[in-house]
Amino acid sequence: MLRLWFDKGTLLLKGEAGTPYGKWDPRVGCYRIKAYHYRDVLEYLAESKLQVEDDVPMLPPLEQLKSNVELREYQNEALNNWCKACNRGVLVLPTAAGKTFIALKAIQQLKVQTLIVVPTLDLIDQWKKRVKDCLNVEAGAVGGGENTLRMVTVTTYDSAYIHAEQLGNKFRLIVFDEVHHLASTGYIQIAEMYTAPYRMGLTATYERSDQRHSLLSQLVGDPVYSIGVEELTGEHLSPFTYEKISVELTPQEQQIYESQMSIFRRFLQLRRITLRSAADFQKFVMTTGRDPKAREALLARNRAVKIAVNSEAKLTVLAQQLEAYRKEKILIFTLHNDLVYRISLRFLVPAITHQTPREERREILANFGSGKYPVVVTSQVLDEGVDVPDASIGLVLGGTGSNREYVQRLGRLLRKKEGKLARLIEIISKETMEVGTSRRRHQKIRGAA
Amino acid sequence: MLPITLLSVWKRKGEIQPRYAKPSSSNDETANILIEAYKTYIGEKKKALKSLVAELEDKGYEYRFVRALSLLLDRKSTFVCQCKVDPVDLRRNIFQATEQFSLPITSETRQKLLESVASKMALKVEDVEKYIYSDLDDELVLEKFLAPSDSELLAEYNLSLTQTLLFNATELSFTSSGNWQYLFHAIKKFGLIYEVYLDNGLWVKIDGPASLFKLTQRYGVGIAKLLPIIVSNSEWTVKAKVLWRFTNEICDFKLESQKHAALLKKPYLPILIYDSSIEEDFAAHFQAVTSGWVLKREPEPVTAGKQVIIPDFSLEKANIKIYLEIVGFWTEEYLLRKIEKLKQVEGKMLLLVNEALACEKLSALAKRPQLDLIYYRDKISLAPILRYLETQFEQVKSKEIKVLEGLPIKFTEPIVGFGEFAARIGVSTEAARAFIVVHPPSGYVVLADTLVSNKKLLQIGDRIRVAICQSGNLPLKEAVRIIEKEGVVDDSANVLVMLGYRIRWRGIDSEKAEVFKDSKNSGEKRFRWPLF
Repeated sequence: MLRLWFDKGTLLLKGEAGTPYGKWDPRVGCYRIKAYHYRDVLEYLAESKLQVEDDVPMLPPLEQLKSNVELREYQNEALNNWCKACNRGVLVLPTAAGKTFIALKAIQQLKVQTLIVVPTLDLIDQWKKRVKDCLNVEAGAVGGGENTLRMVTVTTYDSAYIHAEQLGNKFRLIVFDEVHHLASTGYIQIAEMYTAPYRMGLTATYERSDQRHSLLSQLVGDPVYSIGVEELTGEHLSPFTYEKISVELTPQEQQIYESQMSIFRRFLQLRRITLRSAADFQKFVMTTGRDPKAREALLARNRAVKIAVNSEAKLTVLAQQLEAYRKEKILIFTLHNDLVYRISLRFLVPAITHQTPREERREILANFGSGKYPVVVTSQVLDEGVDVPDASIGLVLGGTGSNREYVQRLGRLLRKKEGKLARLIEIISKETMEVGTSRRRHQKIRGAA
Repeated sequence: MLPITLLSVWKRKGEIQPRYAKPSSSNDETANILIEAYKTYIGEKKKALKSLVAELEDKGYEYRFVRALSLLLDRKSTFVCQCKVDPVDLRRNIFQATEQFSLPITSETRQKLLESVASKMALKVEDVEKYIYSDLDDELVLEKFLAPSDSELLAEYNLSLTQTLLFNATELSFTSSGNWQYLFHAIKKFGLIYEVYLDNGLWVKIDGPASLFKLTQRYGVGIAKLLPIIVSNSEWTVKAKVLWRFTNEICDFKLESQKHAALLKKPYLPILIYDSSIEEDFAAHFQAVTSGWVLKREPEPVTAGKQVIIPDFSLEKANIKIYLEIVGFWTEEYLLRKIEKLKQVEGKMLLLVNEALACEKLSALAKRPQLDLIYYRDKISLAPILRYLETQFEQVKSKEIKVLEGLPIKFTEPIVGFGEFAARIGVSTEAARAFIVVHPPSGYVVLADTLVSNKKLLQIGDRIRVAICQSGNLPLKEAVRIIEKEGVVDDSANVLVMLGYRIRWRGIDSEKAEVFKDSKNSGEKRFRWPLF
């Protein structure tokens, strides 16, 4: 009799037969198999009429799920496509289109132990609440100081990666929220080290600039459903407008900006370096570890960026905008934490950065949701996932050139509410590299959303 | 361990090495500047230390080096938040006040809001602004600092740097002079897999389960954590494969105690405390009886195929070494795995198994000649173990005697110790003694642990006779000294008796005892050996 069991993120098969999915491991004298081939191995052994003692699953007990989830038409279509693809695949829907509900419906239909993997601790809270509201069971959580395994368990990408050796055989369905994260070099191993035969990926921005999203097909499944913002705007998503406000640097800022940028430009000229793409820039950054002159140039450029992005003039415009939208819920986004705290101190509005204690974050988000706090200022930590249904104004004071960041920030504002018009307002410094950064992030907006 | 961005290496022809901070005046100076700064910055904010580091960078100190040293010093520091009230509470009060005051966009409303919060929380207005974010990392204040010496800091830096390089390791092999128990415990704890092989000593190669499929750095962190345990030994060699991600090439990394031990901090490892009181009790009882067996706790690893076993104890006597493993609580699977592993062990292994927890599967063990079992109940009793050891020893002894009987043995020296004779042939002293007692060589007398030629014995007799003639009486002490001076250090009382002398005791004090000739039986006639 063959025996198959889970060993630290892989499977071991012992007995008088092998499998095409495995590899002989002389260290332990067994066949070793990547955990994600669990389903394939069982199917192969069954077809070969080989009996196997399957000691792999160590599942938490099932619980009674009561569902009151009603899916919209496009959500139903997405779920059906996923089921037809043997309960595997990626669903591409804009933020606020209700991806969460599709996943919850899938859990309720399959009635299996499920791990939900999310990018941030805030999202653990949010998913737990949704599970409670929609499925009427407590969800377990791993990460952020919690460690409880339940039929439905929520965890972060970090925890799922670190604890893959312990968690890998405890679920039959794994849901990757914001699945584009999974394709990164480290996280991809989560998909390899878990046995769950059913897999669902959710994202608004499937494609990655590094093309690594192609790796997801094998490990999670192909994209099985895709719908854009335009198709849902109006009926399911709030209509939105986009404005750009340019400000001039103060004379003093202008002077420092010019002098620092010229140090950087002179260095590039001297070394005949042209920076055309993000990859070129990455290459340049790498040389700064060895080359003190290159490092000096990089630091000068960073100082210039800081001046432009965090200009005092922006705060004046910000004050006007806050005045203009006094009745609305406003999210302020910046590039650097320094500016987050400057704004928080200047306007006495709550700030959320990676340094904010988790309890305080929960409290701030709850109060923002209930309307007690009308404004929250944040750098990049709220880019993804967290829902504030009636937030309608997004003030972007700084960001990277990433299109994904733009789409995600916009997504915070798109959740449908009757009569709501979402506004995304960018405040940028005139005649600085910010103009280009802003243009880059809009380049693919139509395609990606 | 350091952030990977602070890793500084050199690379040449496929080899990689951290840029170690060797003791030199400039490195010592950098360490010293920072240590002294931390001492004087007590009471200052963390951001003041950060700008000091930035200043040093501007002055041309290597940025990764000063940042790493500063980071290590942060870990020897206590930073505290100096706010009198809870900053989270303070912020809550401010943000909630915006409801009442509406958003403070003008500086007048802002001031009013701060004043109201200040009075509510019994703070000064300027303190409200000062403390609102006093719990941010940069705002924390240095309260205590445990200053290392310059060289300690550099040694710690070098160890951390090496560990940081090993984050990128895909595998590591090492050999080490000790700490095996620690090492294998850690290997297991960090989810690593090892294989052992012999190459001028025992080598252990480490990677992880998924390493079978592709090169992966997933186990790098676990591998890095092993390093301090390895280098805390006196002798070691480490070889690793490091995946250098910037160029995507595999580099060789090698570290040797002879070359590198002086550079690296030697961490202090606490003594392992054993959870099993059964083992404690057994060791204490065993050592209380005189058995001739030397008990050693956790001896060096015993190889079992590509794996190792570190037995609980080894027992050594003469040429025999027996490993002993106490099996207290077990599951069937555990035991089966153990049996599987033990089958490959070379050498004798005695298992002490708790009878109350035993099952019939254990009988399979008994079929293996190398493996022996003794059952125990609540407590391990020594008697059966000592009996077992004696039997083992007797078996070996009788085999050795047979060997001796087959050899042409001839003695030429005037004095031959049994131990020395046994060592020459390669048998135990006990076997040598037993053989000589049964086959006493002609021309020699047999003492407790020595053979003495008749000629030598007569020489000693002469010396003693002269001594008695010269001084009338001979203290025992003096007689022993004469015998020992002749080279016989064993059984001197017997030598005297054989020579026809007797000892007159005055009380039990040997200082006062004297040697005299038994006048009734004239000495030489009492020689009992065949020669005379």
